[in-house]
Amino acid sequence: MSNRKTTALLAGLALIAALSGCASASESGSDVKDDAGKGVTKIGFIMVGPKDDYGYNQAVYEGSQALKADFPDVEILTAENVPEDDTAATTMEQMISKGAKLIFATSYGHLDAAVKVAEKHPDVIVLQQGNTITTDVPPNMGTYFGTVYEPMYLAGIAAGASTKSDKLGYVYAFPIPQTIANINAFERGARSVNPDVETITAATGSWCDPSAQKDKAAALLKAGADVLTQHQDCTATVINTAKEAGAMTVGYHADASALTPDLWLTGAVWNWGPLYKQLVQKVIDGTFVGSEFNANYRVGFKTGTNPFVLAPYGPLVSDDTKAKIEAAKAFLATPDGSPFVGPLKDNKGKEQVAAGVVPTYAENDAMDYFVDGVIGSVK
Amino acid sequence: MTTLIEPPTSPVEAAPRKRVPAITGAGAQRALLVTARWVGAFAGALALFGILLMIKGANPLDAYAAMFRLAFGQQTSIDEIFIRMAPLVLGALAVAVPARAGLTNVGGEGQIIIGGVAACGATRLLGEDLPGGVLIIGMLLAAVLAGALWAGIAAALRLFAGVNEAISTLLLNFVALNVLLYLIYQSWRESPTGQPATAELVDGAKLPLLTASSRINVGIVIALVLTVLVAVVLTRTRWGFQVSVAGGNAEAARRAGLNVPKLVLSALMIGGALAGVAGMIIFAGTEYKLRDSFGYQIGYTAFLVCWLARQRPFPILLGAFLMATLSVAKDSLQLDSQIPGYAIYVLTALILMAVLGFTTPRKAKV
Amino acid sequence: MSLPVDVLAAGVAGGTSIMFAALGETIGERAGVINLGIEGSMLAGALGAYVVAVETGSPWTGVLVGGIAGAALAAVHAFLVVWRRANQMASGLTVLFLALGLTALFGVKYVGSGKKLDHAFDVWNVPVLHDLPVVGQILFEHNALVYLGFVTVPVVWFALFKTRIGLLVRTAGERAETLTVHGYSVPWLRTLAVTCGGFLAGIGGAYLSIGYANAWRENMIQGKGFIAVALVIFAVWSPVRVMAGAWLFGCALSLGSALQARGYEVNQFLLQALPFVLTLVVLTVIGRRTLSSSPAELKKVFENAETG
Repeated sequence: MSNRKTTALLAGLALIAALSGCASASESGSDVKDDAGKGVTKIGFIMVGPKDDYGYNQAVYEGSQALKADFPDVEILTAENVPEDDTAATTMEQMISKGAKLIFATSYGHLDAAVKVAEKHPDVIVLQQGNTITTDVPPNMGTYFGTVYEPMYLAGIAAGASTKSDKLGYVYAFPIPQTIANINAFERGARSVNPDVETITAATGSWCDPSAQKDKAAALLKAGADVLTQHQDCTATVINTAKEAGAMTVGYHADASALTPDLWLTGAVWNWGPLYKQLVQKVIDGTFVGSEFNANYRVGFKTGTNPFVLAPYGPLVSDDTKAKIEAAKAFLATPDGSPFVGPLKDNKGKEQVAAGVVPTYAENDAMDYFVDGVIGSVK
Repeated sequence: MTTLIEPPTSPVEAAPRKRVPAITGAGAQRALLVTARWVGAFAGALALFGILLMIKGANPLDAYAAMFRLAFGQQTSIDEIFIRMAPLVLGALAVAVPARAGLTNVGGEGQIIIGGVAACGATRLLGEDLPGGVLIIGMLLAAVLAGALWAGIAAALRLFAGVNEAISTLLLNFVALNVLLYLIYQSWRESPTGQPATAELVDGAKLPLLTASSRINVGIVIALVLTVLVAVVLTRTRWGFQVSVAGGNAEAARRAGLNVPKLVLSALMIGGALAGVAGMIIFAGTEYKLRDSFGYQIGYTAFLVCWLARQRPFPILLGAFLMATLSVAKDSLQLDSQIPGYAIYVLTALILMAVLGFTTPRKAKV
Repeated sequence: MSLPVDVLAAGVAGGTSIMFAALGETIGERAGVINLGIEGSMLAGALGAYVVAVETGSPWTGVLVGGIAGAALAAVHAFLVVWRRANQMASGLTVLFLALGLTALFGVKYVGSGKKLDHAFDVWNVPVLHDLPVVGQILFEHNALVYLGFVTVPVVWFALFKTRIGLLVRTAGERAETLTVHGYSVPWLRTLAVTCGGFLAGIGGAYLSIGYANAWRENMIQGKGFIAVALVIFAVWSPVRVMAGAWLFGCALSLGSALQARGYEVNQFLLQALPFVLTLVVLTVIGRRTLSSSPAELKKVFENAETG
């Protein structure tokens, strides 16, 4: 390329850069107003995966679409496959530039980008699903989540009562606290009805890699598991693998009983609708700042709006087991109810919760050990 | 802008290359023809993608207009283009330098990750109390060294075991990814209960912004300076000349008394070092943390940028600008046209296919 | 069952997709063309097979369509590198991007809900053979596509080494100029070889989506096509060694799962890196040998990054 042409091109690029400098003058931060987000007419949802993954992201998408019925004047913007890095901030910015005043950043790893966007746009409310803000929660932010380990505890009861081999298999992605709490609760639930039961774990290293899932699920079955469950964003492969081997399934994210009608036990499934509705109403009213949602908001069976519910039972769950599950559910809803009431030992023999102590939601959100009876390592 | 891309005309830059269309006197008409080919290639790619958009139920003209508006109509987007351009430029240079020596570096993806890892490691080693400037220099040196060594593995495998570097650099990408995952999930994880990521870089060590009002960091300046430097080194130094001789005909170079293994090693390691700098810029300029998606697909995109630019340093700037623009405009496909953002890969590929296949008059002999 | 038998059996099942792809890549490379886009052909094959199997209920039609989809993408690569003489690495990655985009775009309906595949291929124990001690469990308790893989190895070997067209294809990769002298078209032979290679890679992808994971997901190949390309070199362009190499890979993948499931504390990330490290190590050990026995035209591609 001739030097002249190159110079001209670089000058062009420099011009664009200069223009960008001019355009920026209009933006500046200011303090968050008490009624930030009031009367919001556009809401943005960013999702880490595709909106029809039959799992986590689909649940979010369905929740977002359910809002249309309750708030017919509100427009819902959605973006799929938004990575968990700084580029998520750009996508949120685009939504804000289109007029969104409320953003749901729905994946665990969207938190940093969400905080950044919230700081830059004091007039926008940013809500993050699943993660925890460890510093002071900014006035225009909040995190929210359910306690998915509660229904997993109940599903564990069904699994523990149904297993013949006393071995349950758990396919997961990475040892993050949410997953660890699920696995622990599942084993605790199973143990509550079957003292010999073990939960074997295998990590895929991905939220959705079907061939890795097949690999792990097959290995768990060969190791003797006759009930499989999982913490993966896409769920069909593990369920199919279990079904082919004649093993039972505890579902996650969605009611997949249609996939394996005879071998379906139960599972933890989502229902974001009611909680999303509460959150959006609060923002529309202009009363979000300082409200209970302007925090790390957690719901569970105690508060009654847990977005996780127990899926319908399959034919293998006996009436006796159902009664035990109902009793356990009632127990979890009491003030001292928890899957993790002490004494609780980890699988290395160390006591993690002293006898009689009831850990808080926050403590359960920070688990970094597997409980006694889980085969596997968080390392 | 696309009409301005042309094959090399500067005798200095073009000297070591083969098959350069001579643009002298009667060549003006030919230059026009070449320009027309480039315009045609881009128009063809856009038209094909337009048909695809129509199949998916969007009006292509509206979709393109919305993409353009989103990419250039607001300051945050324009900033973002320049932010994303910097690592693409460096990643593409990391392909271009080894290519001069006849080497194919498909390992930008891994070298970028290792550069980011090294930058993060440097701050952990040096501690947070040092002045920001010292930390930045430390990160830069670490990233250069680590990127060079990571690429050096592939160079060494080629020299000592005859392993083709295209294959080894590709495989090393997956190893690098798992090094990153290991660090963020285990030894470098900020908190065992939080998001799997390293602690945020201290404010002083974050790359400074170009102007107080924009989000663009100095990464783009580093990229521009290195582009000029690479161009000068390749065309005006002894090393640059020797490398292109070795790349043109290794046997002739050997007979001419050149130390070909040394040239191969150095060209690939310099490529790795450039990719390492890209990783450092991503880490210290935008991400500030290592996460599991660190640098995702930037190396592969940069490889394509390099080929879009025919492996020449200055056109790489344009190629990177184009790819960065597409990656920002991608959001518009989802938000305005309800087309999954993945579709942008199709447009990227169509442009590349058009450029690879239709901008040169060469054809196979049947 | 014992751990080694489990690992080997799972390795055969897990390595089959890589085996198909690597067999296909062997044909192309024998003709002097390297195709990184094999990863893209696998993606196209995975989606094509899944869609057809779900919509028609016929998994074998799915496999066929998966192969055709893979061949179509490989044809794009062949067009660019053979007829337009584009750089082979750049064209391969371009085709991969094309496949990533197209499959994500058209596969979106099949990612999760609604359109589902129950199961396409049942495990079928080969009579008599599966009763053999150890070997029976490892080799003969799989589904039909795995057995198709067994059969494809000798077929590819025969086609390449015992037929006239195979000889022509190999000559296109060794001494292209002799073909031209005798009036054969090197570009057409290469196009044929690359496209056939894409067909097999497409079947490899089909195996993943309807014979192994029973699901479709964008980018579900996760580097297996790249492994296949490396494997061909590692196998010194021999179909039989490709099979052995693919099983070795499958075992490297399944070893981690088997250890985890038995409660051994193994590092997840080390295991995930293992297949890639293993390939590099093997390539290093046998490197010189592969270099000397590589098809001559392919060597030109390797030794001299063509501009284009």
